[in-house]
Amino acid sequence: MKSFIIKLFMALALTLTATSAMASSHEAPLTQQQQASDKNYESKSILTMVSDFLKTTGVVALANPDVPKNISKDKVAMYKFHQSWGRIIMFGIVFLLFWLAIAKGFEPLLLLPIAFGGLLANIPVADIAGPHGFLGVIYQAGLSNELFPIIIFMGVGAMTDFGPLLSNPKTALLGGAAQFGIFGTLVGAVALSQYTDIFNFTLQQSSAISIIGGADGPTSIFIATKLAPELLGAIAVASYSYMAMVPIIQPPIMKALTTDKERRIKMSTLRHVSRMEKLVFPVVVLMLAILFLPDSTPLIGAFMFGNFLKESGVVERLNDTLQNALINITTIFLGLGVGSKLEADKFLVPDTLGILVLGIVAFSVGTAAGVLMAKVMNLFPGTKVNPLIGSAGVSAVPMAARVSNKVGMEYDRTNMLLMHAMGPNVAGVIGSAVAAGVLISIFK
Amino acid sequence: METNLVVEGLKFMVLGMGIVFAFLGVLILVMNVMSKLIHKYFPEPDPTQAPVVVKGGEDKKKVVAAIFAAIMEDKKSQL
Repeated sequence: MKSFIIKLFMALALTLTATSAMASSHEAPLTQQQQASDKNYESKSILTMVSDFLKTTGVVALANPDVPKNISKDKVAMYKFHQSWGRIIMFGIVFLLFWLAIAKGFEPLLLLPIAFGGLLANIPVADIAGPHGFLGVIYQAGLSNELFPIIIFMGVGAMTDFGPLLSNPKTALLGGAAQFGIFGTLVGAVALSQYTDIFNFTLQQSSAISIIGGADGPTSIFIATKLAPELLGAIAVASYSYMAMVPIIQPPIMKALTTDKERRIKMSTLRHVSRMEKLVFPVVVLMLAILFLPDSTPLIGAFMFGNFLKESGVVERLNDTLQNALINITTIFLGLGVGSKLEADKFLVPDTLGILVLGIVAFSVGTAAGVLMAKVMNLFPGTKVNPLIGSAGVSAVPMAARVSNKVGMEYDRTNMLLMHAMGPNVAGVIGSAVAAGVLISIFK
Repeated sequence: METNLVVEGLKFMVLGMGIVFAFLGVLILVMNVMSKLIHKYFPEPDPTQAPVVVKGGEDKKKVVAAIFAAIMEDKKSQL
């Protein structure tokens, strides 16, 4: 037995030396270089060691950044700015986002991970957002291949109740009208790029920016990574900031477009929706998506998967995981991954300002289109729709529906619009997923 | 740059809004058909039972009497 083991070890040792010899003969030039660099290590005096170390500190890196040789001379000044003041400005922006998230309660679940990711991404020397830094790895793992937004969509599906939409199907049209924010802004963005020198967005970039008007964070990220990954950071930040600002952006538009009488319209109570209907609905929507627009099925499929698990009622554990653990874990990674795109040299560009402006335009146009659509629907015979629920057609579940409810209660304390507004709200999610599918199919 | 981007954008808009509305329009139709079919072939027991309870509620005295009788019956059995 002993001799066998000894023989085994000998054989192992032989093969190991053989393979390592082969490897070293293959990588001979490389290893020689490495050895050379090893040999270059000279014993230094403690003073030079200290001064060398000081050169690697953040203070020096921020005050006097190294310029790599492959940067052309006219760009050196810009590069230096991004590496020094740019990072400091980004720290300021990140602190602003912290403040918005913590003190103002603006979508803290996503803004905090995004902002902290942005802070980490702007650290000099460490290169955390680089291809081998952990933020870069997170980005590669789940954002560049659009995995994380899809997982978020599953969780959102598990949290969604289609009951209000099923009991009043025609409100789905409001969710469709609000998508005008996307396409209207798309035209605006390309018009500005074509006829002015302010921006110079391509069609792909314009599409990725205007999807902010869908008011759906995961969809925005999904489309941005597909069509314009270089703009991802700004688009995601704009999208989530505006979603958080729904209670500020929407009410003035809603009030401006409606009369006092319209705001007081009462809607009849919603009928009961049977469990069977709720169970069949996700499958029906997915079937329609398959027939109409297979390009939208990654988003709609994931959404309906989550919803189907919930409505089936037999996989409570999976449903619970989707709604809580999985979506929370993914939110952390999604936020950090998006934050990795907040590096100064990518974020502090004129385009970002354009994205922020176009984003809020898209949002406002979507809100207005939803309200106007409700007014158009009231021109037809049938039960009247309170136009205030039209604004909920932009997705932003459930914030937009809550805003409709709140504005409605301002005019009539007894007018509860929340459940009525949930109908267009969830239809808006489907609508923006369809709009995203259209954009994807165009650029295929 | 021969293509006019604005015209392209307008085309996107017509196509996009058209498909969104067509999808949701069909969805509305399907939802209506679906709920009719489901109510016809898979009626839920709950809505039919609920009105019975409500109707009973109209005649409060009878209900009170019945509950009273039931409680008394229960007490008797406990004794």
